Amino acid sequence: MAIALVSVIISFLLDGLLSNYFNFSLINPSLFKTIYTIIALVVILPYFNNDKKYLYILFGTAILFDIVYTNTFILNIVLFFLIYILNKFLDFFMPHNLLNSNIRSILSVTLYYILTFIILNIVKYNEYSLSLLLNIITHSIIMTIIYTTILYLLTKYLYGKFNIKQIR
Amino acid sequence: MLNTKRKKIPVKYIVIIIIVIIMIFFGIFSYTLKEDRKLNAVESLIKDAIVGVQKVVYAPFNYVFNLFSDFQELEKIKEENDILKTSIDRNSAIETENIELRRQIEALKEELNIDYVLTDYEYLNATVVSRNIGYWYNTLTIDKGSHNGIETDMVVVNSTGLIGKVVSTTNFTSEVRLITTSDTNNKISVSITNGENKLNGLINGYDYENKTLEVEGISNTEEVAIGDKVYTSGLGGVFPSGILIGTVESINTDEYDLAKIINVKPSADFDDINYVSILKRKSDQ
Repeated sequence: MAIALVSVIISFLLDGLLSNYFNFSLINPSLFKTIYTIIALVVILPYFNNDKKYLYILFGTAILFDIVYTNTFILNIVLFFLIYILNKFLDFFMPHNLLNSNIRSILSVTLYYILTFIILNIVKYNEYSLSLLLNIITHSIIMTIIYTTILYLLTKYLYGKFNIKQIR
Repeated sequence: MLNTKRKKIPVKYIVIIIIVIIMIFFGIFSYTLKEDRKLNAVESLIKDAIVGVQKVVYAPFNYVFNLFSDFQELEKIKEENDILKTSIDRNSAIETENIELRRQIEALKEELNIDYVLTDYEYLNATVVSRNIGYWYNTLTIDKGSHNGIETDMVVVNSTGLIGKVVSTTNFTSEVRLITTSDTNNKISVSITNGENKLNGLINGYDYENKTLEVEGISNTEEVAIGDKVYTSGLGGVFPSGILIGTVESINTDEYDLAKIINVKPSADFDDINYVSILKRKSDQ
């Protein structure tokens, strides 16, 4: 639990930190930008046999994401929960290993971008074109893979030190 | 014997419930995203606390980053220093000119019945804590809030021009919405300076493909040239007049050939905003 919590906190802070150093405009997305918090939530998922505890972390993080980063209400709670459902669905045919964790992270980050794109377009917050969405998704893939790999290996090593094995 | 068999809910009711839930969520999203919802006391407290932690955690990274960028700047400093040395001699002349200009502004304000001009504002500097997470929101979080006298709708600029306006504040942080967001409720009124002429228009939106702001509302008969400067006009009450927005990059006409659609290249680089200034009216102190 502590390792998972630390992973999520560090990733949450990384989201804010790296936004200050890399391009953040829609037309010029940086190759170093992804949603680090979502990746952390995906990577720590197999270490929880009690989904209730995991959901506490997920909802807590989503509330903070809403308040601190996007200035929204409930939006990230809904999105993070949908990402959790996606990962629970993937559990049926995708065991947790390095490759699958990378695929899960890419799918989760992509789902986050697609859902925010749809919601913001529907509520007319701003009108964004599909090419912008594709641009962002393709640019986020490299960093998603790098960060997932680092976090996966690191959490596996740390959990191994405390003799905690993956549940799924 | 008790009948333990659970009653099955018909599929149509489940579909209706799901649709209602989705509609409620969209209603909430629409309201909170478009109306610049004010954070409640608990949310403000949480945001202040986390931004405080962020500032401490980011400090060493910012220090190293600034060290590298300062080192890169060193090359330019010698050249800039020589230019500054020559301009120092002109300082006393500029000061005298300033006093005269201030006197003229006051006289014109009285004559034209204008309440505030750009010289009536003071600049409050702030550091950007985080920028546009998730790309879509076009916002910045800065490290100054209501405790520092910041209020919603205050104008945010940097050394190159207009950035946006404050949309929400907590005690120690503020959320700035960039002018690259199409805010249909508060379109920015601009004036294009073409020699002696001043033409007024409205910023209609931001073209992400060309990275330009679209200005509409200028008759096709008016003369506008590429390279003309675009400033805030002061109409509308939010943005004071005279803040540089950018330069005219291209000019098109609307489908009826009646009005011009002017693409303006913003003077501010929205990819690289680390420090900003908030315009605060001197009389508000």
